[in-house]
Amino acid sequence: MIILALSILLSTDTLATSSHTIDEVVVVSMAGEGRKRSAKGQVASIDEHLAELNHVNLVRRGSYAWEPVVNNMATERVSTTIDGMKIFYACTDKMDPVTSYVESSNLQSILLNSGLNGNPQSTGNIGGSLDLKLRRIGFNQPTRWANVDVGYETNGHLQVYGADVAVSSQRFYTNGGFFFRHADNYKEGGGREVQFSQFQKVNAFVNAGVKLAERDVLEGTFIFDRATDVGYPALNMDVAKAEAFITSLSYKHQWTEGFLNSWETKAYYNHITHIMDDTKRPDVEIHMDMPGKSWTSGLYSLISASNARHEAQMNYDLYYNRLFADMTMYPGGAAPMYMVTWPDVGTLNTGLALTDLVSLPHQQTVRVSAKIAQQWQKLNNQEGYHALRVFFPGMKDSYMQTTGRIAANYTWQPSHWQLSFGMGWGSRAPTVTEAYGYYLNNTFDQYDYIGNPRLKNESAVEVNGATKWLPSPRLTLSVEGNAFFFSNYIIGQFETRLSAMTVDAEGVKVYGNLNHATIVNTSLTAHWQPLPWLTWNNRLNYAVGHDDEGDPLPLISPFTYTSSLTFAYKRLQGKVELRGNSKQVDYGKKYGETATPAWAIGNISAQYTLSIHEHDLTLRAGVENLFDKRYTTYSDWCDIPQKGRNIYVNISVQL
Amino acid sequence: MNKKVLILFLAIASLGLVSCNSNDDETGIVIDGIDLTSDVDCCSAEEALQVYRFIQTVHIIPELRTEVDGKYDVWAYSKTGTLHRGYNDLYFVVTKKKTSNYVKNFDIKNFTPLMHMVKTDMWHSTPVGGSFEVFDTTRPAVKRGWVSLLMNTSDAGNWQFSYDIEVLGSKGGVTSKTINVEALPEGQDWLKNFKVGDDTYFLSLVNPSDWKTGTNTIQAYISKKSTPATTPYALATETFTIEIDPRMPDMGNHTSPDNVALTKQQDGSYTGTINLTMTGLWRIHLTVKDSKGNVVAGGDKLKDGFSSLYWDITL
Repeated sequence: MIILALSILLSTDTLATSSHTIDEVVVVSMAGEGRKRSAKGQVASIDEHLAELNHVNLVRRGSYAWEPVVNNMATERVSTTIDGMKIFYACTDKMDPVTSYVESSNLQSILLNSGLNGNPQSTGNIGGSLDLKLRRIGFNQPTRWANVDVGYETNGHLQVYGADVAVSSQRFYTNGGFFFRHADNYKEGGGREVQFSQFQKVNAFVNAGVKLAERDVLEGTFIFDRATDVGYPALNMDVAKAEAFITSLSYKHQWTEGFLNSWETKAYYNHITHIMDDTKRPDVEIHMDMPGKSWTSGLYSLISASNARHEAQMNYDLYYNRLFADMTMYPGGAAPMYMVTWPDVGTLNTGLALTDLVSLPHQQTVRVSAKIAQQWQKLNNQEGYHALRVFFPGMKDSYMQTTGRIAANYTWQPSHWQLSFGMGWGSRAPTVTEAYGYYLNNTFDQYDYIGNPRLKNESAVEVNGATKWLPSPRLTLSVEGNAFFFSNYIIGQFETRLSAMTVDAEGVKVYGNLNHATIVNTSLTAHWQPLPWLTWNNRLNYAVGHDDEGDPLPLISPFTYTSSLTFAYKRLQGKVELRGNSKQVDYGKKYGETATPAWAIGNISAQYTLSIHEHDLTLRAGVENLFDKRYTTYSDWCDIPQKGRNIYVNISVQL
Repeated sequence: MNKKVLILFLAIASLGLVSCNSNDDETGIVIDGIDLTSDVDCCSAEEALQVYRFIQTVHIIPELRTEVDGKYDVWAYSKTGTLHRGYNDLYFVVTKKKTSNYVKNFDIKNFTPLMHMVKTDMWHSTPVGGSFEVFDTTRPAVKRGWVSLLMNTSDAGNWQFSYDIEVLGSKGGVTSKTINVEALPEGQDWLKNFKVGDDTYFLSLVNPSDWKTGTNTIQAYISKKSTPATTPYALATETFTIEIDPRMPDMGNHTSPDNVALTKQQDGSYTGTINLTMTGLWRIHLTVKDSKGNVVAGGDKLKDGFSSLYWDITL
């Protein structure tokens, strides 16, 4: 229903069902059947929604703000946009992936484009692009509408309260809501409490749309999100405050005839303030203040057109981002020590993107996308610039990069089969951390990282393919894979001549380009519905990543498997799930990674929907980690343990 | 910018001259040393303006002020108007009492700081720069020298300063003026000494308070203790090399890369390059080598692995 209001998204939403490279998880509680959603429904955190997506893993540094990893590539190689808006995290230690600044109630769905075939606004998306689709009630909906969510989880006493209301008419709509989460320390399997794993978060949002004319729409969004007292057991510090303002205003014209469909222009601004805090930690050798700031202002203009053969989009975007972070250390009694860790880097980026979905005879389609982007960067903080010049005497205070991507996917769907093949090339500019970061301590390998302004752009050739066999409507088997062949792969490299800054750090790494590197992801899925009320889903993933010397890259997923049985009886749904990882064999030892042992856990969940006076009430309950296993996954930062047994229950009511 | 200011000054000055024609004793314009006609004893109007500007950046040391022959005022300056332990830049400027115009030709001689040690009732001097010279030709009426004071004033002892001056044939000076010498704050230690045989040498670090995070030029002087000790200590005639190893003791002895040892320059100073990666306390461990490369001081490895000879600076 909301998709109607966002008709420009229709093309991608259609694709979601036809191509393996695109995946979507639905967040909103009311939506069509047969789509992916979290067993916890809308009460689930953004991180839990993300976990439902194929190709996605999550790096956990605590129980809040997990970092999405797509195709075994983290933030640097993944584009994350909120309804096409650029937003950049403000923490030098990646404590705040931008997905942490929205809440389930803000979103309609999360759309993932795997690999280089990204959404039009994405840049630097070698691994993939995530677009968080904001929830808008749209015009001509049931006039008034409200939704209340309440949830509780035993492990960590997680409480979730959310409410939102919507008003819709022919010419006007508005919806808004409020969300609150609070969690204490959680317990790992076996019952031991994980210190500093608490968090609290409030989120409020308002959207509104006005029809200026029959086919002209003005829409605005405002999101305020604030997390406080967030513990990071994997790090040496916690977060006192992580706060974001996200605003946008867009104007859209739609055509009902001719080949032009719509033209949307959106201007946006967002601002993030991130304040770390170590005052609650015991045995802090040196107290530190580490604030970070990020603000981004930008616009994009997207024209969609289609005829019998083509569904095309052209997008122009422009954004300006400022990133500043510093650190003050207070050794007992002595003078404070100060350094600029992100030297107030201003990035002006502009790009032009084209996508076209071409329908060919005999159930064949080709999707082509391309983007070229130009970027200018300036270091606005003199102190930070001069500090970095110690390491790079020849560096300048401004840089320019040109990046681009082009990708094509071919799909053929003869009866009972779906075959696809794709290729692409794309490049990305180094991130601010990679180019200008200054003594950023990484607790993963215990090294201090220094950026390298002389880095070359990283690029990759992607090849992907998938075969899906649908011998009957009740059985689907598919094999898919993608491979990324990198040139100038950017990674931290040992620099033994430099001395670490952080007390207890092993040494210093400086970002450098590896000549080449390879990441390959494969998966096998089987879907079988032996009985009308029973579905059996299985998924196996295997990935490898190698650097130029053939050694394993860090943070590459070991063999993973998921098997679940879903029962559906009238309004009751139940699910039993087994998830696990094999022992991590090819781990990035060279890069400071340690092997993670194998693990397997069981989850059960149930959902029941009832209608009382035309109001839908959905009750969800479940147990995660049924057998209270103590385990850590390969992507748990510093091997912090996952949650032990957790019983949850939540209710969503539609009024 | 400079030009504009100058033109403005000239305009004001000429107005003043015109309006004050009737009475020569009244100066009308009270900006030291600005004179349209250029004083033969000093400088052009532009140079005088540069001198004036420079003086605004330093402060008078009242104890070292004097008058010569009732005709000239002698002004001594330091950055703060006070002196502290370790290296201090000193500047001298002479003005004519009558016109306030600057005088270019003057000589400071026998500049002698002496410390009186209370307990032993003994006297000793301290390292000083050779002579007071013009250091920037755009302001030829300012002469610079330096003194590196071994200790601050305390119950143990106090400092007395003397110097002779000759201005355009007239002679004067200051004799045994007591000046309070301040201690440096915690985390600042810019003067160290070492012994080679019976000789004592002093390592004076020049103005580290001007340093900033990043790459800095490091400058120092090596002076040799005189006999008798009441003679100001002149620069050592030998040639040394001072190797530096800057560390942050509060940061697990974090260091910076690409520091360059101090080597002797034509003016007798030693300069090198020091890289500072952040603000805070930096301990600059020193290894002094003679011209043959033999370590003569420092370079010993204490428990912590670093030289016992070091300067401390806090950025």
